[in-house]
Amino acid sequence: MPLPGLTIIGESINDSVPSTKKLFDANDIAGLLELAKSQDEGGAGYIDVNVGPRSPEFMAEMVKKIQSVTAKPLSIDSPDYNIIKAGLEAYDLARAGGKKPILNSISALRSKMFDLYAIQPFMPILLVSENVVNGQSQPCRTAEETYAAAKSIVGEFRTRCPGVKNSDYIIDPGIAPLGSDSEGNIHRLLASMKLIRADADFAGFHASVGLSNFTVMLPPKRADGSPVKGPLESAFLTLAMPLGLDMVIGSVKRKYEKLTPDHPAMACLNACLKLEGFDVLMRVREFYA
Amino acid sequence: MSDPAELYNAILTGNAKKAEEVTKAAIAANADPGELVQKYMIPAMDEVGRRFECNEYFVPELLIAARAMKTALELITPHLMASGAEPMGRVVIGTVQGDLHDIGKNLVASMLEGGGFQVVDLGVDVPAEKFVEAAKEKDGTILALSALLTTTMTMMKNVIDALEKAGVRSRVKVMIGGAPITQQYANEIGADGFSDNASAAVAVARKLVAN
Repeated sequence: MPLPGLTIIGESINDSVPSTKKLFDANDIAGLLELAKSQDEGGAGYIDVNVGPRSPEFMAEMVKKIQSVTAKPLSIDSPDYNIIKAGLEAYDLARAGGKKPILNSISALRSKMFDLYAIQPFMPILLVSENVVNGQSQPCRTAEETYAAAKSIVGEFRTRCPGVKNSDYIIDPGIAPLGSDSEGNIHRLLASMKLIRADADFAGFHASVGLSNFTVMLPPKRADGSPVKGPLESAFLTLAMPLGLDMVIGSVKRKYEKLTPDHPAMACLNACLKLEGFDVLMRVREFYA
Repeated sequence: MSDPAELYNAILTGNAKKAEEVTKAAIAANADPGELVQKYMIPAMDEVGRRFECNEYFVPELLIAARAMKTALELITPHLMASGAEPMGRVVIGTVQGDLHDIGKNLVASMLEGGGFQVVDLGVDVPAEKFVEAAKEKDGTILALSALLTTTMTMMKNVIDALEKAGVRSRVKVMIGGAPITQQYANEIGADGFSDNASAAVAVARKLVAN
């Protein structure tokens, strides 16, 4: 079951997950619906739906079919305007107990998606790990840039979709893999969450990250055979939840938990936060090798 | 005095300090810079690649080894140039327009540098025209295009079209990669090479240079 205070947006129905892509490619709808059911039963608060480069009509069909097997609200996931539009149009609000869908996700360069609010009100995941400078998007390198990106995109959303409650906003400050973090992204992320949390303008906002990204490219097991990914993700949650993180796009199969400082994964992450550059990678390696 | 052969292990284990020390000593002892690269450094990175592909090494090891390689290469390059040696080839790399995801691109760039290529990194969100300009600068350049999103991968085709339009397509090779990219897609858009990981990208680039 999920950690108290943490809502899991079940990530399995995503074309970029190799085993799911196989189901999509084989048009194995029953297999895909099974994923919806198992995530529902596993405690997901929302079921993410990402159909990859397939048609808007296919997204609409998937939304309807998935809602036929689960009453959980959905997270409509695509960088493509028309695919999102089709998913929102097909969404049955009553079936989800009146709960709005999540729109995963809107970045500054995709603000056209704000227009879709008129079709079906949603909870936007606002991606604030990139900002627009002179019409060009670039990744935020500091906590201050991330915070400024949050101010900017939220300001724009409020102007274009007035009256949305703070509790309907989800901020995604962008998580990057720890195994390649030689540029201090984890520092930036946690520091930006502090800045956002301290701003009354964002009171009641949710915060979410794509948690599986954090441990991608790392081995599944440590040298002693114990798992690598779940504990490191739990270590991240232990630090980030007190800073306002209350949602993750993640797996219901992981046993997320709060870790004590002496847990090896917690010790690793705490040590990484005190290190810079390649020393972070060396410390991560020390954890699993 | 340290043995130049130690350079192999220093790179393989990602010990940048040791790599620096051994390289400096070898240069001071008038070792042949080309031989250092060919005999120890490139084989070390090849072994790193092999271990990565059979899941003995993971991304941290890859990055740490690439840094050790880079440390040694930076010391050796001036001597290589002085001896008239050429890099393996020139690669101009970037994520295509609209795509800001640079982790994979950075990994490939590190591995290519480690593999003896001169790498020009154009960064993220690179418009097609920039790749065309880079193509014009030197014949035989390899353009390495990266995309993470299904929506931005289509920009790869735009780059190839822009190269055709500028009349420089035949002067360069184009290789592509990124999560949604497949060999089939590379064939569809007329790219010359495709790799699904950073280590194999080096082999692809070598093949493109050889052809």
